[in-house]
Amino acid sequence: MKAAARSQAMFFQARAGRQVRNKGLQKALAKARPLFVGKRAKGIAGLAGDGLDFAELRSACEAIRRRVVDDLDVWLEIFEARARATGAEVLWARDGEEICSHVLDIARRNGVTKVVKSKSMLSEEAGLNEALSAAGIQPVETDLGEYIVQLAGEAPSHIIAPAVHKSMAEVEALFAEHHGRPRQERTSADIPLMAREARAVLRQHFLTAEMGISGANFLIAESGSAALVTNEGNGRMVTTLPRVHVVITGIEKIVPTLDDFATLMRLLPRSATGQGISNYVSLLTGTRAAGETEGPEKTVFILVDNGRAALAGSDFSDMLRCIRCGACMNHCPVYFSLGGHAYGWVYPGPMGSVLTPLYTGIENALDLPHASTGCNQCGSVCPVNIPLPRLMHRLRELQNERGLRPWRERIALRAWGWLAGRPALYRRVSGRAARYLRWLADDSGRIRVFGLAPGWSAGRDLAAPPGKTFHELYAARKRA
Amino acid sequence: MRLALFVTCLVDLMRPSIGFASLRLLESAGCEVVVPPGQTCCGQPAWSAGNRRIARDLARQAIAELEDYDYVVIPSGSCTDQVRQVYPELLADEPPWALRAQVLAARCYELSQFLTEVLGVDDLPGAFSGSVTYHDSCKGLRGLGIKQQPRDLLAKVPGLSLVEMPECEECCGFGGAFALRFGDVSTAIVDRKCESIAAAGADAVVGGDLGCLLNIEGRLRRRGDLATRVLHLAEVLAGPEGQ
Repeated sequence: MKAAARSQAMFFQARAGRQVRNKGLQKALAKARPLFVGKRAKGIAGLAGDGLDFAELRSACEAIRRRVVDDLDVWLEIFEARARATGAEVLWARDGEEICSHVLDIARRNGVTKVVKSKSMLSEEAGLNEALSAAGIQPVETDLGEYIVQLAGEAPSHIIAPAVHKSMAEVEALFAEHHGRPRQERTSADIPLMAREARAVLRQHFLTAEMGISGANFLIAESGSAALVTNEGNGRMVTTLPRVHVVITGIEKIVPTLDDFATLMRLLPRSATGQGISNYVSLLTGTRAAGETEGPEKTVFILVDNGRAALAGSDFSDMLRCIRCGACMNHCPVYFSLGGHAYGWVYPGPMGSVLTPLYTGIENALDLPHASTGCNQCGSVCPVNIPLPRLMHRLRELQNERGLRPWRERIALRAWGWLAGRPALYRRVSGRAARYLRWLADDSGRIRVFGLAPGWSAGRDLAAPPGKTFHELYAARKRA
Repeated sequence: MRLALFVTCLVDLMRPSIGFASLRLLESAGCEVVVPPGQTCCGQPAWSAGNRRIARDLARQAIAELEDYDYVVIPSGSCTDQVRQVYPELLADEPPWALRAQVLAARCYELSQFLTEVLGVDDLPGAFSGSVTYHDSCKGLRGLGIKQQPRDLLAKVPGLSLVEMPECEECCGFGGAFALRFGDVSTAIVDRKCESIAAAGADAVVGGDLGCLLNIEGRLRRRGDLATRVLHLAEVLAGPEGQ
């Protein structure tokens, strides 16, 4: 699979260390975190004003997504038939390679030289931009954040805020370089100005591109439509201006009815950005009919597996409910210490720690399922109730079952387990350990360097224990 | 009422005073407290590392050691979560043990839960002059629903005032093996917790899990905060020994 080759997830630990020490990144993340958390909290609190209850809605959303995941094949057939009936073409892609070959084929048949894109994580999974460029077709990302990371030659670091890791000064430098103008001093008051500048550049691309590529937040089975939830308006341009519109999305994105879509929309924008509703909600159905003045002449759905079908009915089927709101990473203490690039592939944060090993190979992302404190802040905000920590835990078990953990860890764990299973011996050894720790302490009673936990003690002064264990002291009291 | 106190391996090794404080609290409430001698560790480190076999062995050992009492009380949300939520799942396909795990899970309480929900204590032996801020540990809060119980108990301590810190429900970055595997990431997370604690400006930070407390205390001291005391809930509620 091509995706696995592009994944950098094996280098999580090294990348994490670099990101933690990256001052600029830390500043950007520190600024973003309270915004994400605060906006969602306000959005969820706002449900009460509409007479809605979060727990009830979440159960309803979970049920809708479960219904789809339980009978995915049936829903896909219904969607395919309805979409075809509206005049759209439906193609299937097994993996990233097939996505690229489908898109290049469509481009060739339609004489495409430029593609405008609205956010599609699937095209990231496929490495589609590289494939387009290699074929001499210019891909232009038009979501502002995606546009910025494309200029920087980087991958998105967040699924709904791709450039969250970039400072304003970095964006200004990129714009000056790529828009061919001198650099200027910018303050936050200039942000609308910078957005306008990007808009002027992008508008030319919208008007000249022959093909638009978008993702889809949902596929509505009953109407054969793609639902698009956006804030910048670029999605509308991408999906209506060019002659050809290609929707690339995962096979799990189906919802049965428009009513179900409305229910999910109660929680999707609120979980993502705190908005009661996003600025744009588009339902794209079919192609431009005779007499209509807008819309693409050709609409193609590329429905992608890339590892998804294998999750249905497995221990990880819960993950297929994901609606890509980003709340899990927005509430993850690990994500906000590192940013998204540390995770090494398309999806960062808790969802990435589950999806990356599943989609690129468990053996290719050994650290990710362990990159969690188990705090379950992600699980508790998930709008479709995905037990993320439990899924990460199951991946840890699979690593053990397949003998993928390092031998030192395996031996240490086995030795400790053997000891903990022998209470009398355990008492003697823990007594020794208590005295050893006491001996390590300095005059103030703190352990400043602790060789058995170097990473942890590098940032901490451990309070030394008194030198006798509870059980030793308790036994002495009983005797007295 | 005869109950078993499971002190946890961390309290046993690192801070026995929490075990004795728990003992005093429960005895002063009129309970007959036994410390079962064969207890070691609940097995969470193995479970968390993904080693089901070791986790199962230790779960069976703990169940056999703890099941003959009216209740089991643990001064840790994390270990209680292991017994209550994980044991039944871990042993679900071993019929006799599955049932024993379920029975034990139903009788097992985290200390502040037990004091409020089962005993409904009003008089506490402890006293504290000053302000404290409470850190909600993740497994206790999101696993067991422990939020109000420790605050209700702290409100009964003479001389104590509670000041909430910002983001008291945020993880401290410990996470057991996580802190060992990713020490620098853990440090970045606990730094935010230290800032929240500083913002509260209390005399002490109090919590219900020694893992979090060692992590927080270790970082506070390294950052140069030698003044803020870091205490387990049991230590505050029971007061110093000999009182």
